Amino acid sequence: MSVVNGTMIKVTDLGHQVQLSGERLTLLRDVNLSIATGESVAIVGKSGSGKTTLLGLLAGLDVPTSGSVELAGAPISRWSEDQRAIHRANRVGFIFQSFQLLPSLTALENVMLPLELSHVRQARQEAHDILDRVGLSQRLHHTPRQLSGGEQQRVAIARAFASHPSVLFADEPTGNLDAETGHQVADLLMALNREKGATLVMVTHDEELAARCDRQLRIEAGVLQGSAMGATA
Amino acid sequence: MSGLTTFWWLSRRDWRQRDVRVVLASLVVAVAAVATISLFADHLRQTLLSSATQFLAADRQLSGSRPLPQEFLQEAEERGLESGQIISFSTMLYGSDGQQLVQAKGVSDDYPLAGEIEIQRRPDGPRERVTRPPPPGEIWLNARLLPMLDLSMGDSVEMGEHRLKVTAILVREPDAGFNMAALSPRTLMHISDVEKTGVVQPGSRVRYKQLYSGDEAQLESFHQWLEPQLDESQRWRTVRDGQPAIADALDRAERFLLLGGSLAVLLAAVAVAVASRQYALGQRDTVALLKTLGLPGRTISRFFIARLGLWGLIGTVAGLLLALPAYMALAAVTNRFLDQPVSWSVSPGAIWPALVTALVALFAFAYPPIHRLRRVPAMQVLRSQPGESGSAARLDMLIAVVGIFALLWFYGGEIWLVVALLLALVALLLAFALLSALFMALLRPIRGGGQAWRLALVALYRHRRASLSQMAVFAMTLMLAATLFLMRTALLEDWQAQLPEDAPNHFLINIASDQVDSVESFLGEREISATALYPMVRGRLTHINDEPVREAVSKDEEVNALNRELNLTWLEELPADNRLRAGEWWQEGNSDGVSVEAELFEELGLSLGDELRFRIGGLDLSAEVRNVREVQWDSMRPNFYMAFSPGTLEEFSATWITSFYMEDSDKGVLNDLTRAFPTVSVLELDQFIERIRGIVGQVTTAVEALLVMILISAVLVMAAVVSATLGDRQREGALLRTLGARRQLLVRSTMLEFAALGAIAGLLGVMAAEVAVWSLQYRLFEGRFVWHGSLWLTLPVLSALVLSLFGRWQLGTVLNVSPMLLMRRLEG
Repeated sequence: MSVVNGTMIKVTDLGHQVQLSGERLTLLRDVNLSIATGESVAIVGKSGSGKTTLLGLLAGLDVPTSGSVELAGAPISRWSEDQRAIHRANRVGFIFQSFQLLPSLTALENVMLPLELSHVRQARQEAHDILDRVGLSQRLHHTPRQLSGGEQQRVAIARAFASHPSVLFADEPTGNLDAETGHQVADLLMALNREKGATLVMVTHDEELAARCDRQLRIEAGVLQGSAMGATA
Repeated sequence: MSGLTTFWWLSRRDWRQRDVRVVLASLVVAVAAVATISLFADHLRQTLLSSATQFLAADRQLSGSRPLPQEFLQEAEERGLESGQIISFSTMLYGSDGQQLVQAKGVSDDYPLAGEIEIQRRPDGPRERVTRPPPPGEIWLNARLLPMLDLSMGDSVEMGEHRLKVTAILVREPDAGFNMAALSPRTLMHISDVEKTGVVQPGSRVRYKQLYSGDEAQLESFHQWLEPQLDESQRWRTVRDGQPAIADALDRAERFLLLGGSLAVLLAAVAVAVASRQYALGQRDTVALLKTLGLPGRTISRFFIARLGLWGLIGTVAGLLLALPAYMALAAVTNRFLDQPVSWSVSPGAIWPALVTALVALFAFAYPPIHRLRRVPAMQVLRSQPGESGSAARLDMLIAVVGIFALLWFYGGEIWLVVALLLALVALLLAFALLSALFMALLRPIRGGGQAWRLALVALYRHRRASLSQMAVFAMTLMLAATLFLMRTALLEDWQAQLPEDAPNHFLINIASDQVDSVESFLGEREISATALYPMVRGRLTHINDEPVREAVSKDEEVNALNRELNLTWLEELPADNRLRAGEWWQEGNSDGVSVEAELFEELGLSLGDELRFRIGGLDLSAEVRNVREVQWDSMRPNFYMAFSPGTLEEFSATWITSFYMEDSDKGVLNDLTRAFPTVSVLELDQFIERIRGIVGQVTTAVEALLVMILISAVLVMAAVVSATLGDRQREGALLRTLGARRQLLVRSTMLEFAALGAIAGLLGVMAAEVAVWSLQYRLFEGRFVWHGSLWLTLPVLSALVLSLFGRWQLGTVLNVSPMLLMRRLEG
């Protein structure tokens, strides 16, 4: 699948509603946006404004109730969940606020997981290399419980980049960390993203981190503020 | 799945998760309990059969009124079975002074194939047990024959045309049993001497028997080969056919083990279901993550099924490894009570139930919630999504109930067991729904405060979902344990009642009508309390409603009572150990009525009001069936199939019969008795009763051991259930401590909370157990139902106590570790 016109993500007339206690609640309305390949974009806004919902829809973790999402040229909002899953395995990496490491696996195994799932032959070696790159070569065989928050997030970053994704989604990557650790993790994330040349879409409260991205999208009460069609649109 | 390796290295760390450990532990306990019980049940069956085969002198017996084909014995030999022969008949035995009708028995060299013959070499000599019959030319006699015929050891006696030398007193042969039809003194000789006597002529009344012993499977296949060749006069007998008292004890024991096994299956299923549900709930985040990382739902599904398979394998192997030593220990306990211990063996048939239990427990109970994990939305990684709906849980419950009862059906094949437990379960659920709604309504208005009991009740309400599901499982567990406990108590009481310490162990028969008073005063003078004296007339049933009995009764029914003369009696009042099932007992002045024993009544297909015609000593007598009696055959009191209204049998000459209890040390009285009443026969049943007691004793031990095992499993199940919410409880405890709750307050409120849970569960459990016992008693154990008042108090108290200890245990770490450390640990 090729990337059409250098556009990694294209969102058209996207809307999302949920049923909550019998009432329809609109989470997102009339969202149109376009993100170029290699671009880094921060989505900012207040709590409950719809940032995380938008991120989930862009990544194909859920499908919108109206409109469409294209990810790397694929109409993922029209696909079944399994099709989206396979698409994600090949192209997408994730970083979460709460790290989402499997507690029963070691750091090395957590990083190996997506590689194994994509049948990468040198999974162990690659996981080893990337953990070395994030400065955790001494912590390979520790389980998440034995790691600090900053270390856990570095493992999560290593896992996200291990499978060479073309697009990386990050949900409040520094949200659970103290200022200094958050800073270090943010540096690492931005540096790796530049090295790997991936497209980055990040939800954050951290204005400073948002400012380090190529573009900031502000969302308020489910509506994207200003033009979000980006450079390539 | 991206390959076996991914699966392997994801799963090999599973045991690090507590939920997985709980599922595995439940599974191991399930397999271990079921396997131990079925192995032990199998062992017990072998043990009991081998004790009981002594009563047949072999494992199987074929008998007939004509000589049995020798090919049968040859075939048995070719199949590797042991065999032997018996010919028995009545004949006159002549001594130096007089003659006596005796029951003669000629046996082959191998007799007895099972059990021992007890003899005395001299009248005052010690009792010896031997396993060989007398050699050709010798005869062993019942002790009473020596004074009757004025004989000493070494004297010769004449039977027909043959002389035999008396070499021992025959105290007991294994297959003598307890047969009131055989009234004359018994003798034992070699089979080769029978022909030489010349007394067995065509037309004589003779019983021919062939004995077979060997491997159970070979015996069965031999029987299959034999069966088509048997004619109407030939009968194949197993231990069960031989002795109602033993068959009854065996049946009850087997049913009890079956019940115990079924309850173990149920407990196991509950434990696995609870643990796996908890596990599935805990896996939602992992599944969402795997989806995010690109694993399709169906792959995730396959992955979890493979995991279940792996656990099944591990659980089964570990369970079996635990079951083997447990079984051997139990077998050792029962073997201590045996003369000839049965070596332990593991039959594949006994392993099956455990494997099927593991399989069903995993796939009927663990699979549904785990299978649904594939539907967890990937969005769950970003934001907690709504959990499972109630309808999914209800469906799980339905699948679980169907699974459980399919399993019980497979395990026991006893529809009444399934129905009884189902009834109890329905009662439990109804009462649970009612009581829980009431309880929660009462709790709702209570507000928290500084007191432990307030905190406890508020906590109960706050955790109501967990509290209610735990309460349901506790109640079910307690119901199962209480059911087994009550059944065991009823069983033991029944046995005790059947064979009390002073159960009659001697019978006097052949008492002439003019001796009745003097026999009574003879016994009275020696302070021997005998049962009433019953008159006895021997006669044959010939017609039912003027139709010959052979035509009236279906050919398929093999009614033993039709093949021989029956002991008929008359009764003024219903004996204490009989129970009237239908019809009315006669009033004074009613005549020409007959009361029929319930089983025979059914076998003959009779109805009240039918006319029965009997042939007694060449005369005919008709009587109308007025009522039906249930008779407790193993009460060791004289009992009769046919009892007439007083006066009906007046014109026929009767002999009288009575029974009494006598200690071994008073045996000398018997000699006085035979001297005073030479024509009266004494039937000594003390040895026989001792042996039945021995068997019942073994079964009792087994039953107790089984109960202990089930109770242990029940406690384990409850521990599994409690530990399912361990994480939440500890988190809450840590939080409360952080907020300043004192240690003492936390301990008290938690213990109170669990005690309340336990008390209600105990109440529900005992109620449902009563329902189960009520239906089981009626159908499976044919006993009478009584309420168990004391259990209504003890079970709730006991379960409140045990559960409050569980609560204390749950709190353990919360109290000893700093709240901060604990919170951190629980986050990980």
